Amino acid sequence: MSGFPNTSPNPTHDLAIIGAGPAGMAAAIEARKAGLSVVVLDEQDAPGGQIYRAIEATGGKRRVLLGPEYAAGAPLAEAFRGCGATYLPKATVWNVDRDLGLDYSREGASFRVSGRALIIASGAIERPTPLPGWTLPGVTTAGALQILLKAHGIVPEGAVLVGCGPLLYLIAVQMLDAGFPPKALVETSDPGALKRVLPHLPGALRAWPYLAKGLKMIRRLKAAGVPLYKGASDARIEGTTAAEAVVFSKNGVTHRLPTDVVALHQGVVPNQQVTRLLRCDHVWNASQHCFTPVLDAHLETSVDNVFVAGDGAGIGGAVTAALRGRVAALRVAEKLGTASAEAPSAQVSSAQVSSGQVSSGQVWASLLADLAKDAAIRPFLEALYAPSAQVRSPADETLVCRCEEITAGQVRAAVALGAPGPNQVKSFLRAGMGPCQGRMCGLAVSGIIAEARGEAPDVVDYYRIRPPLKPLALAELATLDPEPSREAPL
Amino acid sequence: MSGGSDVVVIGGGLVASALAYGLTRDGCSVTVLDEGDVAYRASRGNFGLVWVQSKGDGLPGYARWTRLSADLWPDFSADLLSETGVETNYHKAGGLHLCLSEEAMESHAALIHRMHNVHGAADYGAKLLDRADLEALAPGLGPDVIGGSWSPHDGHASPLYLLRALHAGLEARGGVYRPKSRVKAIVPLASGFRVETDRGEVHGDKVVLAAGLGNRVLGPMVGLDIPVWPLKGQILVTERTGPRLSLPTTFVRQTEEGSFLLGDSHEHAGFDTTSRAGIMADIAARAIRTFPYLKDLRVVRSWAALRVMTDDGFPIYDQSETYPGAFTVNCHSGVTLAGAHAMALAPMIARGRFDEEMSMFSVRRFHVQAH
Repeated sequence: MSGFPNTSPNPTHDLAIIGAGPAGMAAAIEARKAGLSVVVLDEQDAPGGQIYRAIEATGGKRRVLLGPEYAAGAPLAEAFRGCGATYLPKATVWNVDRDLGLDYSREGASFRVSGRALIIASGAIERPTPLPGWTLPGVTTAGALQILLKAHGIVPEGAVLVGCGPLLYLIAVQMLDAGFPPKALVETSDPGALKRVLPHLPGALRAWPYLAKGLKMIRRLKAAGVPLYKGASDARIEGTTAAEAVVFSKNGVTHRLPTDVVALHQGVVPNQQVTRLLRCDHVWNASQHCFTPVLDAHLETSVDNVFVAGDGAGIGGAVTAALRGRVAALRVAEKLGTASAEAPSAQVSSAQVSSGQVSSGQVWASLLADLAKDAAIRPFLEALYAPSAQVRSPADETLVCRCEEITAGQVRAAVALGAPGPNQVKSFLRAGMGPCQGRMCGLAVSGIIAEARGEAPDVVDYYRIRPPLKPLALAELATLDPEPSREAPL
Repeated sequence: MSGGSDVVVIGGGLVASALAYGLTRDGCSVTVLDEGDVAYRASRGNFGLVWVQSKGDGLPGYARWTRLSADLWPDFSADLLSETGVETNYHKAGGLHLCLSEEAMESHAALIHRMHNVHGAADYGAKLLDRADLEALAPGLGPDVIGGSWSPHDGHASPLYLLRALHAGLEARGGVYRPKSRVKAIVPLASGFRVETDRGEVHGDKVVLAAGLGNRVLGPMVGLDIPVWPLKGQILVTERTGPRLSLPTTFVRQTEEGSFLLGDSHEHAGFDTTSRAGIMADIAARAIRTFPYLKDLRVVRSWAALRVMTDDGFPIYDQSETYPGAFTVNCHSGVTLAGAHAMALAPMIARGRFDEEMSMFSVRRFHVQAH
């Protein structure tokens, strides 16, 4: 191979990184140590990502409330600030070319940077939770509640939390500590979960601190008198113009909890918008019930010089995210170094790379061992907190595409008409064509089609994703340097 | 071999689906063989114009054929609605072409003049308009718009709902649609054809190659050379907004849902279907020059698709001389011509031969020696 066939002729940087959460920050620090020029683009106004959101601004009481794992983000953010990477906060990447040019929007105008390599560290999104009433005002997500808490110290009163996953317990405890305990926690994981979980317990014990933390959270909620409803099914939100109550069944009994704030959560899934835009290969991860990009041992995708670190590579949490960031950055340094022997780069000297500082066997071995140790809890968590069947296969009348108001039943009807996958369904119904670019319906639509056709989700696959990744004002788009779109004058 | 059909139609886009639906209307049993979820599928990138005013420069027969299709569209659309319940959102309110430079206006005026001569002034109906006339029909024009033209025969429809309506209509009339059935071979038999796919074989008395760019590969299997090539086009789609533009224009139209569609590009880019930011910027800038009120609307998605183009821009309709019963239909105006394909061309295929006037679309026109 002759270096970098898919990169721009004159890239602005050796390495472009999308996202300044733990993976993006750690990758930037590592790449800078290796002497690469680095640009980091992030949507937020300060480093931290979702997990360490507002880490630099959150002091004293709020940081204590959010716990030591949150506080661990502070030194990482500090090191990132000092690492010498070009950091572009409030930058929304809305397009990535196959030649690794990135178009981004910042304060109302669009700009372009490019890299010889790209690390996508855009993290996870909450799994959309299509159940009856989920589009009513007053219904939010556990992640959105946590953003309010981290960034603004705001906690709603009398919220009912519905769903499953570690984040649901974490936010419940944080609300408790803030003095506004949730009205109830309704857990939708089905009763068979325990049987699925037991085989994974020995592995989980290797990651004892996580396990101990989870058990402690549950004990604290019980001690504080927060009602926990386990094994709930058929959850729905009632209300005419806004949420009025959460209704569900448990052991054959129907419960109705009046509330005007409902936070839904069914775990988090990789944000695949950028890897889909680049048409990287993806596989279905049956344990995490989501798509993950196909990655080699060094986190490189099927597209040359494009890497994924952090939860976008598969859900692994903050510690794993930072480790992955380092792995990807080391590999980029290694690849660029090899290339620089043939085509010397201004930024990387081959001496630096071949000195062994950036890619010694010891560094790799220790990183990979740390990754394996941190990942030990995952199979246990994934089995325990599998998304509920109700959300994976919504009832016919449930809306799945919020933007275009398309129900699960309409998707099934399109399959019956012959649509073999999500792109034909999108054509027939407009599902996935709204401002969210399919983020809210993509997984559900692929899942419904897979079930209806009796095929695996990765056979059915996913929406084609195109720019802009986020809605973009026409006037802003028009500020980019144009390429002539036609030969004749208009 | 699974049961035979009168006609096997290869392709699942607008051209194939309109023909297949039309063939079932004519009483034929039809099997449609389509690719999987991701195909080039130009239909998904169609701008949605049913357009007459500029079609047929240099080939009067094509102007008449396009006009016939536009004349058939109201009944075609109404039939689809009554048979399937799917509304194609067809509106025949007339259409505008807008010019943004003296140079463009001059060449457009010459085109409209030539088209008058082709159709005859009374029949053509299109006319040149100055800026004041245009402003009355489409308020909010930018200062760069200096003139244009209007035709009462033009209109627009949703290409996506049209495709769905055709598939639903096919199903309602007993047609068989088989996705994920990419054609590997077409074997002419003593009677009819055996079509071999990824998922088994089907038999048809006739076979229609309507697979867009795929016809390049399929043609030689039945003795046809089909020189179609990809001309890439990109379009932008905005968020929804209140009704503002009641007539479609060549590059900007507002859909039934309230989104604006902004077109389009002509790119020689091979089989690349990615969206390119620089082209998107050019399309955005042109749309704002045309209607400045669009500037704050947000783009929510882009499309890039490959037109099925010929060297002269006109369709290719032909029947194999070597293997009669093997037909091919190719064009880049899948929406405009859908009415004619379903209601005029399909009956010819059902009868076993294209009418004499269709010979102008024969592939033989490309085989004339140049010296």
